[in-house]
Amino acid sequence: MSEARLFKPRFNPAKPAFGILVFLLYLFLLAPLLIVFVVSFASNQYLSFPPEGLTFKWYEMLPQESTFMNGMRVSLIVAVTVTIIVLALGVPVALALDRFEFKAKAVVQSFFLSPLLIPSIVLALGMVLLFGPLKLTNTYAGIIIGHVAITIPFVIRTTLMSLATTDTSCEAAARILGAGSWTVFRRITLPIIQPGVIAGGVIAFIVSFDEAVISLFVAESGLPTLPVQVLRYVENSADAAVAALSVILILISLAVVVVVERAMGLRKALR
Amino acid sequence: MTESKLSIVDLTKRYAAGLDPAVDRLNMEVEEGHLVALLGPSGCGKTTTLRMVAGLMDPTAGSIVVDGKEITHTPVNKRGMGMVFQSYALFPHMNVEQNVAFGLQMRQTSKADQKRRVAGALDMVQLGHLAKRQVRELSGGQQQRIALARALVVEPTLLLLDEPLSNLDAKLRETMRTEIRSIQQRTRATTLFVTHDQDEALDMADRIAVMNGGLIEQFGSPTEVYERPQTRFVANFIGQANFLNARVLSETGAAAKGETHYRVSIDELGEFGAVGAPGLTGSTHELVIRPHRLRVSLRPAGTETIAGVIERVSYTGDAISVAVKAGNRVLQAQVPTSSGDLPRPGDAAYLSWNEQDAYLLPAAVKDAAGLLPAAERDSVA
Repeated sequence: MSEARLFKPRFNPAKPAFGILVFLLYLFLLAPLLIVFVVSFASNQYLSFPPEGLTFKWYEMLPQESTFMNGMRVSLIVAVTVTIIVLALGVPVALALDRFEFKAKAVVQSFFLSPLLIPSIVLALGMVLLFGPLKLTNTYAGIIIGHVAITIPFVIRTTLMSLATTDTSCEAAARILGAGSWTVFRRITLPIIQPGVIAGGVIAFIVSFDEAVISLFVAESGLPTLPVQVLRYVENSADAAVAALSVILILISLAVVVVVERAMGLRKALR
Repeated sequence: MTESKLSIVDLTKRYAAGLDPAVDRLNMEVEEGHLVALLGPSGCGKTTTLRMVAGLMDPTAGSIVVDGKEITHTPVNKRGMGMVFQSYALFPHMNVEQNVAFGLQMRQTSKADQKRRVAGALDMVQLGHLAKRQVRELSGGQQQRIALARALVVEPTLLLLDEPLSNLDAKLRETMRTEIRSIQQRTRATTLFVTHDQDEALDMADRIAVMNGGLIEQFGSPTEVYERPQTRFVANFIGQANFLNARVLSETGAAAKGETHYRVSIDELGEFGAVGAPGLTGSTHELVIRPHRLRVSLRPAGTETIAGVIERVSYTGDAISVAVKAGNRVLQAQVPTSSGDLPRPGDAAYLSWNEQDAYLLPAAVKDAAGLLPAAERDSVA
């Protein structure tokens, strides 16, 4: 580091150029969000830009829009259940993949990570064909199974990353001190890998809450989730209520991330 | 004879069929209150042995008996042992106090009892004032002490130490050596200590098991393994040694501790006195002499001397190491720096030793017929 300093030029033109580049990239990524935000307060009759005046009527509309409220309820039930199931399945799978040597390990690993690589439209189509005869279409079970399949890779990935950096002798130490397998898991392993588990859970929640393709295929008519309702709404009407709803969704996602970050951050600070 | 605290009988570990065993029919008796060092190079099976005693690894064959009870297949969490790991393995999400209390909680002792014993254990390692600290805030030496307190607070049947000092810097390592030993003696905890550091083993242990290739080469007190190595490996691994092939000519009397004085003949160099186990007369044995037990004189002195020429002199502060070429052998000698005549390369030197410092290894040298030239058989380690 100190050596590099010796040759540091007084002014490096690359630096502001890099700054501008980063700014433009962020602008590019965030522009759609900003527009949605602005439009949600615009008094234009139809979804359009630029705004003609300021109004809160779209936000006031939301609670009365039963399709949105129902969709929100379905999506929350699904996302919460999916998160619980996917953690209960994903964490043990990650543990097994990390700790045990077995013959088909590579196969099992790619099996659990494969939903990441397959286009979700393909998965969704397969699920409709499979769920039809099983009477799982238009049921919570159907949506939840579909969402578990696409979110489990995230939980396995983040948990595996936490496991890779843990010292297994902590578990050995706990066992020698008299702890049985379950106690070791609950009191030693789980707290140590907690950051990865929580990160995986948050991602699973957001992905499930946000998922449209599988929900659309599996349960459009009977049990529409919020993204499905949004899609339908945009098809039929063109007012800015959807923009207001989008802002609310962004805030929910943001709140989840902030709450978790705060909780974990606080925990770390106390350590 | 007192009943052993720990008996290891024919303990064997084979990681995979077809591989050489990592531990090969190992036998050992450990007395109550002793600290036994398992000493050897990496891959000698010392850690594998320790992990089998701890229960972290299943033996392929053999048995482990503690206090007269066989525990070979007792689950690890039912053995009541304490272990200190090389990486300390403190629980990162608990503070110092919680770490130390963990074993007591598993034993479901009362809260009051826990509090009292944790405080006692922390005082023992002189870290009572850090009870509420998080472990990541502690230095390596402090973490080491907490790990020791955590292992000892449960009053373990055996204390197992797996290279506990390897991650510390040299100065701290010596302090911790003394401290671990004094705590071990105060608590009278029977201890197995894995190390690759001969100084640690010599300094701390009541008994040393020198291991090589899954076998114990020698099991004895520090002075026994240093002064009376039973194999070339032991002589080589612990300290430095000169090896000379010596034909044993005759007994010249009984020495202390059941040993015998011998006259031996070393090719080209003459006849000398040495000691060894009884009954060596007539065969050729390797004679072990430690470099600092060789006297170096620049003038002929006495009759039983090896005359040679100084080849190399190296100054190491406390001592001067001198390489002396005699015939086609090179012998290493070490003399204190305070000696009057400072040797120089090219000077004539005369080496001599006390008879009891020249020890004949019990195993006869196979090429006793002298088929190999002396220079190839003799070497310096």
